Amino acid sequence: MDALLRFPGSPRLKWARLFVMGLLATLCVSVALQRYWWPAPPSPLSGGTTTVVNRTSQGFGQPAPNLTDAELALHIEGDRAFEATFVTAPAPVNAGLGPLFNNASCLSCHIKDGRGMPTKGNLLVRVSLPPTPSAKHSQSNSLFEGQPEASVSLGNAPPVPGLGTQIQDQAIYGVPPKANVMLDWQETQGTYGDGTAYTLRSPVFAITLPNGEPLPQNVLTSPRLPPPVFGRGLLEAIPETTILGLADPDDKNGDGISGKPNRVWDVRQKKLVLGRFGLKANNPNLLQQNAAAYINDMGITNPVFPGPGGSTEIDAKTLDAATLYTQTLAVPGRTLMTDPVVKKGERLFAQANCNACHIAELRTGNHGVKAIAHQTIHPYTDLLLHDMGPGLADGRPDFDASGTEWRTPPLWGLGLTQTVLPYSGYLHDGRALTLEEAILWHGGEADASKEFFREMGKGDRTALIQFLRSL
Amino acid sequence: MPPIILRSPQPLILFALPCLVTLTLSGCGNTDNTPSPQVQLAPQILRDFADQVVIPNHALFATRAEALSQAIGRFTQSPNANTLGAAQQAWVAARAAWEQTECFGFGPADALGYDGALDTWPVNETDLKALLSSNQPLTPESVRQMKETEKGFHAIEYFLFGTAKNRQPGDLTPRERQYLQLAGADFAQVAQNLAASWSQGVEGKVAYREVFTSAGQPANTTYPTLQAGKAELIQGMLDSLDEVANEKIGKTFAERNPQLAESRFSFNTLTDMKSNLQGVQNVYLGRFPDGQTQGQGLSDWMAQTHPALDTEFKAQLQTAMDALAQIPSPFERAILDPKAADAIKTAQSAINQARETLEDKVKPLMVPS
Repeated sequence: MDALLRFPGSPRLKWARLFVMGLLATLCVSVALQRYWWPAPPSPLSGGTTTVVNRTSQGFGQPAPNLTDAELALHIEGDRAFEATFVTAPAPVNAGLGPLFNNASCLSCHIKDGRGMPTKGNLLVRVSLPPTPSAKHSQSNSLFEGQPEASVSLGNAPPVPGLGTQIQDQAIYGVPPKANVMLDWQETQGTYGDGTAYTLRSPVFAITLPNGEPLPQNVLTSPRLPPPVFGRGLLEAIPETTILGLADPDDKNGDGISGKPNRVWDVRQKKLVLGRFGLKANNPNLLQQNAAAYINDMGITNPVFPGPGGSTEIDAKTLDAATLYTQTLAVPGRTLMTDPVVKKGERLFAQANCNACHIAELRTGNHGVKAIAHQTIHPYTDLLLHDMGPGLADGRPDFDASGTEWRTPPLWGLGLTQTVLPYSGYLHDGRALTLEEAILWHGGEADASKEFFREMGKGDRTALIQFLRSL
Repeated sequence: MPPIILRSPQPLILFALPCLVTLTLSGCGNTDNTPSPQVQLAPQILRDFADQVVIPNHALFATRAEALSQAIGRFTQSPNANTLGAAQQAWVAARAAWEQTECFGFGPADALGYDGALDTWPVNETDLKALLSSNQPLTPESVRQMKETEKGFHAIEYFLFGTAKNRQPGDLTPRERQYLQLAGADFAQVAQNLAASWSQGVEGKVAYREVFTSAGQPANTTYPTLQAGKAELIQGMLDSLDEVANEKIGKTFAERNPQLAESRFSFNTLTDMKSNLQGVQNVYLGRFPDGQTQGQGLSDWMAQTHPALDTEFKAQLQTAMDALAQIPSPFERAILDPKAADAIKTAQSAINQARETLEDKVKPLMVPS
């Protein structure tokens, strides 16, 4: 230190130099401290300018703050449609429920615009017969004669006689539900690399037909937990070229991760197009997704899936409002982003290669709703199908999705899951009660990432989970 | 003029001077090291919200739900004008306690199905009539498993009040009375479960009181920051004010459609709304007058930091409550009466005024983004 402070020259020059050096040193130390303790915050704007600051139980149910007055008015109309509880006709309001249904309103499954619970009325079961080799995708009007299912894969998921492709386990008075679905849980044990034991649960279904017989053995089943509905307009606005650009169906780059687009039936265009929505990406857009949910889940005929003679129980205005509602729900911004543990977890997320499928940043393109167009977003999905291994497999194909493939779910808002809905679970059937369990169920293409996590020490595992909770 | 030179200054001091100045200045913006009284108050506000507002409100609701079940029992045993009147009064009393809880509908109520079982609207009249015309057995278990649109507040209301507060004691068939009695008992049980879910925990789960009041503590994954806990209180108040102003009043009045009024069978919709605003005031002040409790509320924090705004918001809330009281009862008829239109519009805008103050002025101070 003394050597540094010994300067030649006049005393005044010496003092001035000393002062300047002190100033510079302070500056350097400050900058270093700033980097370490107060780093420049990464963007909390998970949904671009549609993001809201809201880490409450209502964090999934806020309108995007950048809507025009007209869009906001329609969003509020859509909010009413989304929460409307249908009842059996005739009725003065909300008539038309059923005759077969899973639940009576959108909101009673997508609770507070988030997930549902793995319970009757929320968790539904899709069914089909094994695919036949010659089958092709097509839309057959005869399907509607007796079966309300609509936007389903008809080629590789042939409807089950008497059941169609979705079990509506509720019905209006006097109509027998299609089947009774009983859910039980079985447990398996495992250990982390450090020897810590864990338990995983998975569902066991007992499905009974109205005649008391069990579901025939050859029927393929796929349980589906209602996913959150916010931010979906942004996913609709991601250019198809972007999604196809992320695809690597034959794993040409040899990283063990494929990424396959689903090609699904567009009812309005009457052709196969890119699938984006649903747990296997079996719906092409939010209009069709919503219309299918109305007809399949609530038994509400609508302009996309009308009843006999073209009759409808909701009009186009209602369907459009509900669709706009799901397009324009804000994405909640992140929390605790500058927490060093969260930052460490974010690095580990990348080291474990989670971000190969859970793509952090994407750009939206053109969209009819300006508020969601041309946004930089952080959804943590590629909207592609991936083989998730036998542990998660439903064994039921859905268009190009095989029985082991699922679409990468977006992770934005993940940390709010149990704030919005306490005790709710993760993954396609709600089997994972914690984020650790959700990761440990990953297999197939995600096996290496899962193993990376399983082999981590407790501190690193905690950090990774803290990062997920900050989303 | 000789230069002004400091006499033999210590080189180290010169070096350290900028450091000291910078550190002192940078320290000015960082006052979190010693919590201010307001910061210390926040955990107390969350505790008092749970212990002085939510839990006593749920407890009173459970007590009144049980009283309703008992009153229904007496009516169904011996249907006469007295027993029917008493059961109707018990329904209104339970409703007043319930509607005050509307601005804290988060937590277990949705996940465990309590909210749906208690207060789903509208009633599925068609299915309920069909069921009660059949000879399908009615048991406590079959009623428990009934759809949400066939039980709870509004199904009970339908049988106690008729479709327009026109129920006569002799109207109900024995089977309808049997159903009503079972629905009352189921209702009381759910109300008790709801209360327990916050105060002591149900189905092996920790009491939700513990989850909420530990907001900001390291182990809390539901509310990882104290700020998220405060935000939850404000969000509930905002949603309740919005619901009353723009749905319960707004949509029903805009469409002049009494069928949209929530408690239209009993003509109780206006009282529901008064209870909703009372609930908002309870949360803000941290108390539950019907249960004689008093704690620290958001208002206490505001009074310390922004007393003028605290006064302004309290006054606006009171104005909104007073304006609501000016709407002639029943609301189901007032919306069709041109003479009542001004009172309805005044109430709606007064509630929206309070909501805007809460959203635009109070919330940014409480929950800075």
